[in-house]
Amino acid sequence: MAQRSGVSILQRFEALPIIIVFVLLLLLFMYRAPEVFLAPYIYTTFLSTLPPLILLAAGLTFVIGAGEIDLSFPSIIAFSGFVFAVLFKEYDLGWLAVVAGLASGILVGFLNGLIIAKVGIPSFMTTLGTQFFWAGMATVLSGGKSYALRGAEESSVWRWIVGRPFAGSTDIVWLQQLSIQALWTAIIVGFLWLILTRHRFGEHALFIGDSNDVSRVVGIDVDREKIKVFTLMGFLAACAAIILTLENKNFFGNQGQGYLLTAIASVLIGGTSIFGGRATILGTVFGCFIIGMVEAGLVASGLTGAWVRTVQGLIFLVSIIFYLYADEPQRRRALFANLRSLGKFGAIRTSEEGGVRR
Amino acid sequence: MKGETNMRLAHFLLAGVATTGLVAAVAPASADPIGKGLVMYMQMGGNPGDGATLARQTGAKEAAEALGVDLKSQFSAWAPETMINQFKEAVAAKPNCIEIMGHPGSTAFHDLVKQAVDQGIVVTSGNSPLTDLQNEFGPKGFGYAGVDLYAGGVLTAKAMLAQGLKSGDQAMVYGVFSQAERGQSEKGLADTLEKAGLKVDRLEITQEANSDMSLAVPVLAAYIQAHPNLKAIGTQHGGATGEMQQVLEKAGKKPGDIVVGGIDLAPSTIDGLKSGAVSATLDQLLYMQGFFPVVQCVMSAKYKMPGLSLNTGAGVVTPKTIDALTKLIDAGIR
Amino acid sequence: MARLAADPRRPPDGCKSRRWINAGCRFPCGIFSGKSQCGSSCAGLTGFRGGNAVTPAGDFASIVRLEGVQKYFGAVHALRDIDLSIGRNEIVGLIGDNGAGKSTLIKVMTGVLEPSSGKIFVREREIQPGEYSVRMAHDLSIETVYQDKSLAEKQPLWRNFFVGRQITNRFGFIDIKREKEIAQKILIDVIGFRGVGITVDSTVANLSGGERQGIAIGRAMHYNADLIVLDEPTAALGVAEVRKVVEFVRRIKQSGRACIYIEHNLAHVHEVADRLVVLDRGRVVSEIFPKDMTVPELTEYLIALQHDA
Repeated sequence: MAQRSGVSILQRFEALPIIIVFVLLLLLFMYRAPEVFLAPYIYTTFLSTLPPLILLAAGLTFVIGAGEIDLSFPSIIAFSGFVFAVLFKEYDLGWLAVVAGLASGILVGFLNGLIIAKVGIPSFMTTLGTQFFWAGMATVLSGGKSYALRGAEESSVWRWIVGRPFAGSTDIVWLQQLSIQALWTAIIVGFLWLILTRHRFGEHALFIGDSNDVSRVVGIDVDREKIKVFTLMGFLAACAAIILTLENKNFFGNQGQGYLLTAIASVLIGGTSIFGGRATILGTVFGCFIIGMVEAGLVASGLTGAWVRTVQGLIFLVSIIFYLYADEPQRRRALFANLRSLGKFGAIRTSEEGGVRR
Repeated sequence: MKGETNMRLAHFLLAGVATTGLVAAVAPASADPIGKGLVMYMQMGGNPGDGATLARQTGAKEAAEALGVDLKSQFSAWAPETMINQFKEAVAAKPNCIEIMGHPGSTAFHDLVKQAVDQGIVVTSGNSPLTDLQNEFGPKGFGYAGVDLYAGGVLTAKAMLAQGLKSGDQAMVYGVFSQAERGQSEKGLADTLEKAGLKVDRLEITQEANSDMSLAVPVLAAYIQAHPNLKAIGTQHGGATGEMQQVLEKAGKKPGDIVVGGIDLAPSTIDGLKSGAVSATLDQLLYMQGFFPVVQCVMSAKYKMPGLSLNTGAGVVTPKTIDALTKLIDAGIR
Repeated sequence: MARLAADPRRPPDGCKSRRWINAGCRFPCGIFSGKSQCGSSCAGLTGFRGGNAVTPAGDFASIVRLEGVQKYFGAVHALRDIDLSIGRNEIVGLIGDNGAGKSTLIKVMTGVLEPSSGKIFVREREIQPGEYSVRMAHDLSIETVYQDKSLAEKQPLWRNFFVGRQITNRFGFIDIKREKEIAQKILIDVIGFRGVGITVDSTVANLSGGERQGIAIGRAMHYNADLIVLDEPTAALGVAEVRKVVEFVRRIKQSGRACIYIEHNLAHVHEVADRLVVLDRGRVVSEIFPKDMTVPELTEYLIALQHDA
């Protein structure tokens, strides 16, 4: 007889565990490095550096929720970033460069989806291949060079996408540093949350991640929805690319590589299941906060660089194990039963076993 | 579960702090080191313990201990965007000094550095120059501790030529030509070899190989096998230099078949020098690149001195001169 | 389980009544205009050409008819020359050994798979092969209950009830409140779950095999299907639950509907079926009426079939 747990508190509040972890970590860093974490500047910095990661991780939430994986988004950051940078700088196309950059990301994502859905190659292999292809294209087309977007802050593109809206109008220093891409990211991610939880498309993605077979027999066009998911990822990666390139006022030939593992890790520690079928945008966002904050926090607390990786790995492992037990009631019950029996004296346990065997 | 781990970590750290405080209080009273109370963020470059990073870490640590500076090390796997993000985080922490590297380029850094300097933070540089920024912010303490990149490449090439390369020989230079300032060292190497009449093939280091050089070994071995007449390989990447002995072995070459010129003194480079696989390596005194910026920090933050330039590319180490240095290299100093 | 089928003139729950006019809504325009312009779970009327909106488009003898249907998977000839019709108030038992093609047959019949060639008629109207889909089958009041892939395990019950035909607004946003309300009613009234800790928010993974089957069948009942296809519904069920399923199949007949019942257990299917269709290696080899053969005879016959190479 299945356990009648109904709806546990975990399910009622989305992403509650990761939010608790985030708050605890924040408090720890505030305690260890108050001069950094009790001042607003580190937070305004995060607001300017985290948006690309959050956009990528949000897109990945849909992909992983649909039971797939996308490894090609770092190369979309390079490729779309290049398309945008070169059109913005060399051809002075302004907003047209933005449109072209987004279109290039959508194209790459769409092609990914096409190969995965119609040709049928597993997403891991497909995106591994396209990752190399598009990164190579970016290098070939750019000649390996970086593009400095000198004077970009004069343009309306820069001001609207990554500008500092309060720069001239206030004396409060940290307010001056607030960057607007945080707002755009919040809006986009909020919209994505609505889609995932309340829209048909989000439901389809989760069902596909749950089981392709079930999805087919209940009437979901699995191929079409998969293509949509990957196209969405391409679009978001292009957004991240443009924000990153504008914020740095620079296109680096190899930009994006560092985001591969951090984006995936953010999604997984946020509570989205790697097996598909369960996804949370809110968890992903807090996962990004944690991943983005850990390094700065540890450095400010005085732990040397080597510790950063260790702590990130620890957080990752602990989260994954936690979600595994939260997800599978049988394993959880088995674990608690084992713990309980360990607590009793060995003799009693033996006699219980003896009783069962009879 | 995570909460408990955090609590334990917090307790551990608290204990550590208390112990240090106790020791400091019990230690014999002496004049405070001149850098006491200063906080400095420093960009180390690669990954902790890397060939081109270890000696820098050691130099910076020892300088910080000697001067009493609270040093916070940042590692970026040589990725320019990471360096920029880490600089922003450093600025947000409002330290007294920050040391950066030139990989992202002066343009990318300019506004951020200006912001930091305006807030009263001393910004200095190392390993890879930012000439424009040095000119602009020099009076506020922007110095440089590193090799004059182009000249360093020239020096290395000259040492290679001295090993008996002739006009018309084939050579390959493996480097990060794409990065504006950092690529100058490879450029100097390649140009000098070309001036001496060699045919030079330029190969670009990919970002993956840049952070993990073992990935380049098969690539280089394949290149060598595809070019049987190759007489010289030059590089100005510390990690690549360290892999050269392995590369030659895998390509079936004996030490001395190809003249190899490199940079830095990673432990595997020592072996390379000893066996003769590596013919000459530019010693950019990574220890000094770590030590000096900390000194610069104290001098500028406390005594308002302007930024100074220290050219650490002073000489070349060859198989003949390596033995004397082995112990120091193992200790992570040279 | 509760009674089946409400008054066919009443719109099913969730249907905006202005889009529903009497029984005419049971024949969505999709068959005639070649495109389903109607909303899910309730057919609209645009493009309705054959017959007027109020009366059904003519009498029909069979609810589903397959004519000359072939299905190839690559080189494998999974279905050969299938000629099969299901009467409007008939229980057809589909039997045959493993690998005979029973699952493939019903997938073709319900729009999951496309036949390689042949014709499909629903209510004597031909369906263009390229257009047939699960969604259209649902619109045509054909529902399927599978052995183990009717429900998505990690998803909550209310989503499982409505997936593929969600109640949405114009932009595709789901009316979650309404779906949960209706799901709650289905749970209590149709399926008969009484306060045992399972709510519409529970995930399917928390249910036992029998409960899951109950949910899947309840879903088919809610949508008032004219044809219910059951694919091995009693596998992995306890004795009492098997009884319930058999009862349910009986009641389908009593309420004037049709059912295709795939079952390995010959005793069960013999009890309720009007006609048994035997499938062997992709071909319909015989049609048997239960009153003509006892269960042991049937068993012998099937075994003999296997030995005829």
